[in-house]
Amino acid sequence: MIQTPKWQSILGWLSFLIAIAFFCLQMGYFLIHGRYQVEYIDDRLFYIINMIIIIFLVAAILLLLQTKRLFRYMAIGIAVVFIVIQGMLLVEKGKQVKQVISVSPNFKQVFSVKTDVEQDESIYYRSYYGILARAKEVLSKPIVSVHDITWLENDIAVLTYESNHQKLEQFIGTYGDRGGGYSYYQVGAENGAWEGEQASVHSDPEGIQVTSNGHTELFAWETVQQFGTLAIVLKRDEEAVWTIALAKDFIADSNAPIMPSYRILLYPAVLENQKPILLKPAL
Amino acid sequence: MHKIILSLSGMILVALIIATFFYQEMERVLLPQEVLLGNNQQEHTSTEEQDEPEQTLWPVNQDAISYSLQHDALHITFNGGGDWVEVPVEQEQLFQGEYNGNRQTLIEESYILQGDRVAFIYTEASEDMHVQQVMVLYSVDQGETWQEGTIADAFPGLRYRKIDFVNNSFGYAILSGDRTMSSEYSLAYLTHDGGETWESAAETPTTRLIADGGFTDEQTGFLSYGTINPEKPDVYVTQDSGKSWEQAVFNIPETYEQIFVQAETPFIEDDHLAVLVNQGPNGDYQGGLLKGKFISKDNGLNWGFLEEVPADDTDA
Repeated sequence: MIQTPKWQSILGWLSFLIAIAFFCLQMGYFLIHGRYQVEYIDDRLFYIINMIIIIFLVAAILLLLQTKRLFRYMAIGIAVVFIVIQGMLLVEKGKQVKQVISVSPNFKQVFSVKTDVEQDESIYYRSYYGILARAKEVLSKPIVSVHDITWLENDIAVLTYESNHQKLEQFIGTYGDRGGGYSYYQVGAENGAWEGEQASVHSDPEGIQVTSNGHTELFAWETVQQFGTLAIVLKRDEEAVWTIALAKDFIADSNAPIMPSYRILLYPAVLENQKPILLKPAL
Repeated sequence: MHKIILSLSGMILVALIIATFFYQEMERVLLPQEVLLGNNQQEHTSTEEQDEPEQTLWPVNQDAISYSLQHDALHITFNGGGDWVEVPVEQEQLFQGEYNGNRQTLIEESYILQGDRVAFIYTEASEDMHVQQVMVLYSVDQGETWQEGTIADAFPGLRYRKIDFVNNSFGYAILSGDRTMSSEYSLAYLTHDGGETWESAAETPTTRLIADGGFTDEQTGFLSYGTINPEKPDVYVTQDSGKSWEQAVFNIPETYEQIFVQAETPFIEDDHLAVLVNQGPNGDYQGGLLKGKFISKDNGLNWGFLEEVPADDTDA
C-alpha cells in the first residue's frame, strides 16, 4: 500500500473539516430559521454553501483515500452533477427573488432588500452576524429597477429605485439611533437652517424648504417620510425628491436641540449617480 | 477510517439533497408585526372564538405594555398587542404646542406606561391660541376607568413635557414653553394625590432651555438646563418640595471641563445621590461614548466627580 504524503494527509483532513463545518452551519440554519425567524441575507448563499461543502468533501476523499480510478471518477461526477443542479437552482432563485445587497464602508452593516417577483413585494432585512437577516419592513412600493445604493454615512444607506408605479422612490436603511436610547423629533428640527455651497435647507412649522441651484421648493410636513431616527425623504406627488440625513457629527439630545448645531446631508433622488451635499448650520 | 469518511460523506450528500428540497419549499421569515399578529391569533383561537377585530393594531415596540397611534387614536396594550384599550383622548391633544414630529410615536417622557399606572400629558385648547390648558389623563386599573387632572390652567406654547411618579401618590410634571430663540419659561408641578390635583413649584431664576429634570423623593427635585452648546452642567435643586431652588455646584476635574456638560436626572444610589452628566449634543470626547458620573452626599447641592461611565451601559 502506498503511503499518503504528509502534506496530502493534512490538506485532506483540513478539507474534510471545512466541509463538516459548513455542513453544520447549513443544518444550524434550518434549526434557527423558524425559531428565530432569520434567513440568509442573500437567498443564494444556501446553494453556494452546498457547493462549497461538496467541493471540499470530494477534495478530502481524493486526498485521503487510496481508491480505484473508477471510484474517483464517480465521486467527481457526482460532485459535478450536484454542483450543476445547485447552480441551476441558484439562478432560478435569483429570478424569483431579486436581491439588493450592499455592505457599509466600515463593513459593519449589510443593507439587504429582497423582492419577491411573484408576490410583487419588496422587503427590507436587517443583518445579523454578517450572513443572517431578519425581515424588518415591507417597502411601500415594490422595486422594479434599482438605480443606486449610496451609504451617506456608515449607518445610513439610501436605495434609489423605480417602483411599479413608474415613480422614483428612495428607501433608507438606518442602523441604530445615535442617542443611546434617547429619542428626538424629526431630522429637520423646527426653525433650523443649514447651508452649503450649492444648496440650503430651512425648516419651520410649515415644512422643509430646500433651495438648490437657485430653485426653492417647500415640502409640507405631510409629504415628509421618516426612516428610523436618522433620515427623512421629501416627496412631491408621491415621488421622492430629496433625502435628508443627519451627518455623523449628530448625537441625539434628550429633547430636540432648538438651534441645530449639527450638519446634515442632502441627497437628490435622480437617475444619475450624485454625491450627497454636506450642509452646515446657518449662522 | 476509509469507511467512516465514506459513510459520513454519503450521509452529508443525502442530507444536502433533502435540505435542498426543504429549502425550495421554505416560506420567507415573518415580519415583526406578522409575528405579533400570529401570536395573537394563536391566543385567540386557543381561548374562545372571537369576532375578527375591525382594525388590526400593532404596538410600537415589543414591550408587553405598549401603545399604538394607528387609526388616529391612542390604544394601549398590557399583553404585547393581544388586547387593546382605547385611551379617551384625541390624538391631536397629545402633540399640541411646539412639536413637529411624525406623530407615529408619543413624545418621549410625556407619558407613563406601567402595570399599575398609565398616564398621558395632553392639552385642551383655549381661546388664546398660544396658551393651552395642560392636563393629565391617568388610569390605575389598566384602562378600565380613567381620571383626569389639571396640571396647568394656562401654559404658553408648550415645548418640553415630562411626567413621572415617585410613589403611588407623589408625582411631578415638568413643562416648558413660550420659547423665544434660546430662552423659555419652565416650571415643575407636583401632585400629592396620584394626579388629581397639581400645584406649581417655585420658579427657578433661569430662562435657559430645559434639558431634563426629576424628583428623587417628595422633597428633593432637580431641573437641568442647557440644550444648545452647554459648557457645564446647569442644575437647580430643591430640598423643600419645590418651594425654593438653589443652583447645584458641580466640582468638575479640570480634565473634564467643557466635556461633561449636561446633567441628566439624578437618582438614589446606596446612601447618596448620583447623576450622569453627558457630553451634550456635540460632545466628541472618546467618540462621545462616555458620560461622567457624579455623586452628592448632601442631597444634591454639591456634586463630586466619581468616574467615567460608558454611555451604552447607562442607557440600557
